[in-house]
Amino acid sequence: MASQYMLPHVQQPPSFHSTASQPRQHQWSPYTENGGVILGIAGKDYVIIAGDTRSSEGYSINTRTARKIFDVGSGIVLGVVGMSADGEELARKVARRIDDYKRNHDKHITVNAAAVMLSRILYAKRFFPYYCQPLLGGLDEDGVGAIYTYDYVGSFEREASRAFGAAASLITPFLDNQINLKNQFVPGTNGDEPRKPGDLPMDRVEKIVKDAFTSAVERHIEVGDGLQLVRVTRPPPREAMEDEEEVDEREKTAGGGVLTEVMSELKKD
Amino acid sequence: MSNPFTLNGGACLAMAGKDCVAIACDLRLGQQALTLSNNFPKVFNYGDVFLGLTGLATDVQTMHSLFRYKVNLYRLREEREIEPETMANLVSSTLYERRFGPYFVSPVVAGINQRTGKPFICGFDSIGCIDFAKDFIVSGTASDQLFGVAEGLWEPDLEPEDLFETVSQTLLNSLDRDALAGWGAHVYIITKDKVTKRLLKSRQD
Repeated sequence: MASQYMLPHVQQPPSFHSTASQPRQHQWSPYTENGGVILGIAGKDYVIIAGDTRSSEGYSINTRTARKIFDVGSGIVLGVVGMSADGEELARKVARRIDDYKRNHDKHITVNAAAVMLSRILYAKRFFPYYCQPLLGGLDEDGVGAIYTYDYVGSFEREASRAFGAAASLITPFLDNQINLKNQFVPGTNGDEPRKPGDLPMDRVEKIVKDAFTSAVERHIEVGDGLQLVRVTRPPPREAMEDEEEVDEREKTAGGGVLTEVMSELKKD
Repeated sequence: MSNPFTLNGGACLAMAGKDCVAIACDLRLGQQALTLSNNFPKVFNYGDVFLGLTGLATDVQTMHSLFRYKVNLYRLREEREIEPETMANLVSSTLYERRFGPYFVSPVVAGINQRTGKPFICGFDSIGCIDFAKDFIVSGTASDQLFGVAEGLWEPDLEPEDLFETVSQTLLNSLDRDALAGWGAHVYIITKDKVTKRLLKSRQD
């Protein structure tokens, strides 16, 4: 059998014996992993969701400008990592369903209702799941920041902070320490009184978020290029707004927030 | 049983500061998910030089006794203590001797050069490739977590007390996110003429 010893790039001579009777296995792989990392932090009256903008496949970079955080309407943001095609599809579907809700009920959906809805959307594909980890953020009915985190098939939980994606294992313990103040104690209490988390001002949290990303960029090859940071904050008071129609629109938002997006640079190597 | 590096669990971390270095480890010894002991230190000293060993526990103990033997012979022959740079090369060559049947360990060396007073830290892969670092070295099952936190907390020229806090916070918060490491920690703060050893209480789960 000369063909056994041929190099793989050499054209194999046609064989007249094998094809019909030999079984051949075909396979199709519907999933890819596009790297990247996202994180969400819920504050007293704000939410921050951030993600890097690199999208990669193996050791190749597909683009340095891929956004992973999406405005899905009604003051709600959705961050997705994993397979970017599935992530974008999921974001489109959620945005559409949130728009449907608004038209059917003549009011904005609340984040907690949207959270349950996203869970159902994910579970509907229980046996061919979207290959992405979603993170939903917004302000709840009391105007308090809410982050909802999911697994691939719709198990979800409301949390104060969470990192998802390639460098989640690097960022998570940093967030435990800096946001939830784990392993920190009130000075002078001899380790008896733990520091209480919460009440962190937004500008401080944004600094921690940036630190978390620059750290992840240093040590993980799938993270880098740019940082997309989205804030959800309370709308400005009524009298400050001039356009009356816009006021009505905001009024329908049950505690809904205003989105602002900040783009900044990360290392590109 | 498939990966000898993660069978027993454990983590180690070294950091450099201003005229000081720190090295720390957890205390867990396990077999997969089952914890066998919560008093299994992974940092040892040979004179003034400190060595952290994570990985397969039997290799940790074997290498510890091997280096005790080798450093004792070095001391007798040279009539002086071994310097950290020399120790690094000794560790490297000892590991490379077993190039095709390696010890399943990820060693970390830390110390102050007694002649020059310069802080020194370095790490190795299991066959002796040296990673000289001027900031920090991590090893063990919590290495991902340690990289993330250390990269965020470490800064240049930390004084001994600040270095202790940085090392301890980095280690503790990383251990809490790794099921295979934790159950207490040892932290050594090393300056030219003083070594402080502290035992850290941590989550017992």
